[in-house]
Amino acid sequence: MVDLKPLKREEWRTPVECLKEGVLSHLNVLEMEALRLSRKQQLSLQQQSRVDDLRIMVEKLRAQRDHLKARAQSTLSLQQLKAMVGQRKEVCDDDADGDEEGHSESLQLHLSLLMAKRAQVKDLLQGHHLIGGYDVTEASRGKGVCVSIATAFQGHYLETYNLELDVARTVRISRHNIPPFIPLEKLAQDNLQTDLREFLGTLSKHLNAFAGRRQQVCLIQEVLKGSVEVMESNALFNMVVLMCTEPGQKGTAVLCTLEYSDLTRFLPTKVVIESEDKTLPTTPKWKEHQSLLLETPAHTVLQALKRKGQIV
Amino acid sequence: MDDSAKQLLRLIIRRIPSNKLYSTLRKWEHLSKKQFESLDFTQPKWLICDNLLSLCEENDLSAKHVTELELIHRIEQPTQGAWHVCQLIDAQEEALTSDLLQFRESFKLHLKGLISHVAVKIKKHEDDAIWIRIAWGDNFTKPNHLKPTYVVHHLQTPYVFLSGLNVKHKPLLHQALVLATHHESIKDVHLSGRCLTALRDLLMRQYKQVFPVKHPRPLQERSPLLTHPNIENEHAKHAENRLQMASEVFGDGTLPKLETALYKLETRYRGKERGTMGAREEPFRGVVRFSSSNILESLKYCTSSGMAAAPVTPLLSSIVQKGRNYFVITDKGPGLSQTPGPKV
Repeated sequence: MVDLKPLKREEWRTPVECLKEGVLSHLNVLEMEALRLSRKQQLSLQQQSRVDDLRIMVEKLRAQRDHLKARAQSTLSLQQLKAMVGQRKEVCDDDADGDEEGHSESLQLHLSLLMAKRAQVKDLLQGHHLIGGYDVTEASRGKGVCVSIATAFQGHYLETYNLELDVARTVRISRHNIPPFIPLEKLAQDNLQTDLREFLGTLSKHLNAFAGRRQQVCLIQEVLKGSVEVMESNALFNMVVLMCTEPGQKGTAVLCTLEYSDLTRFLPTKVVIESEDKTLPTTPKWKEHQSLLLETPAHTVLQALKRKGQIV
Repeated sequence: MDDSAKQLLRLIIRRIPSNKLYSTLRKWEHLSKKQFESLDFTQPKWLICDNLLSLCEENDLSAKHVTELELIHRIEQPTQGAWHVCQLIDAQEEALTSDLLQFRESFKLHLKGLISHVAVKIKKHEDDAIWIRIAWGDNFTKPNHLKPTYVVHHLQTPYVFLSGLNVKHKPLLHQALVLATHHESIKDVHLSGRCLTALRDLLMRQYKQVFPVKHPRPLQERSPLLTHPNIENEHAKHAENRLQMASEVFGDGTLPKLETALYKLETRYRGKERGTMGAREEPFRGVVRFSSSNILESLKYCTSSGMAAAPVTPLLSSIVQKGRNYFVITDKGPGLSQTPGPKV
């Protein structure tokens, strides 16, 4: 270490003072000053390099710590997973025992973890299939289960309905939020005691079809506003009357009555076309529209007709 | 327009609050646009009424049209008067496809077949509810328009909401309803209240129900009064538990507004000493009546705040689950009596 004693007061004189005492002494003072500055510079340089060294050290230690932590964690979870995935025991053991550090080992570890995870997800999926794909939760402290039935139409999720079943003795519906016009009571009479999956399956069909029919009416009201009018519909949406207009000067109004007698479907079972012009429903064009309405959701058909200029 | 019709119109106009008069008359489609605009709604009511009467004379309107005005006013004010609910049982196939036109014709036909002097007015409200106004008369008198019965029914559902129904007319109305809606029979479900929408929401399950879910809701942000983190944690868990339980029973969000719940008790004394109490042959009769501006909210609060024991007794949870607010409790049954309620 270079010691850097501060210069004594008498040695440390301002250049003006020095000038009074001659050139040599002035030079002397300047030399001393230069020496002092160089020492200072050296010292700070040394300090800087030491800080850098220490910083690198910290980084190294930190990396080592992270590595150890990760290893400890993966070994732990592996031990837990080992019990679950018997057939992959060998691979796991290799990883857990392998002491040599290295890239290949961590890769293998990662791989086996992923495989274990996959097996776990597969098990869950199997369980989900076993209960028929419904979301089932324990309810009323183990005495019942709560089943959620999600509805969707054309890839859009709609309402989710819930059903709480009391399974203590005989299966009984304790509460639910299914609308009153869904024939729940009849479905329960048919299958609730004997085949729960069948019961939930038909109920889900009813609910999905209802949600689908309602969604079609909503879409017609929304997308075809001003062109197709929903004249009449009911709570169950199994009877919908739509009014559209033929293009042209006369602008004949056409009434389409869609009847859905199969409540488990969102497509009508009967389509009636009516108009003031009695010949219109018998024209091949409207015959075609009628059969289209039987096979395709109403809003899609009407949208297509509008695009082609078949209706206003 | 005869005198009775005039009198009826005056009465109806008097019943409609001034601020509602404009909107109600607007929905009444028996005045031309010009006639409607000629009415000055800043005038006092009696003056408006006189002007309206002359317009009605001009248009040759009758009592039938006037009752429609009352029906419109009543639809706007569903909390007027007490409502009680009946349930139609055993729907036939046709019940699923019946529409307003069929129902209207069939109901009028059946009711007029049972009683000759009756005036029926039917109107479909925006929410698909069918409102029926019935003025009853008997064999010798004209229909009394001053005390009409109101019936609200949603097609395809088993529920019928009734208001102002006389005991004498009950069987007639029930029969006409059963036939017109294609059902086998009808029964009282022992649910009543002033708020029609609340009764409807409760029975049609249109209020927000809570069901157990896999992922419990996260704890609500609580006040930062931390005494001890562990104690606080325990309390929060209990509170959350109670709230979940109360919500599962009574529902979440705004609950249907019921005003009362009535329990009639017919029980025996079951103490060990058979003194005067035990020797009684007659059962004790008692009536327990809960009333509140919103009874379900009150009961839910009692449960969630820990004032009432959890889990909630079936006697209280039956109000929502069975959709009724009148119960008779006797000694024979282990729990609730056998008086029929709506099927869940």
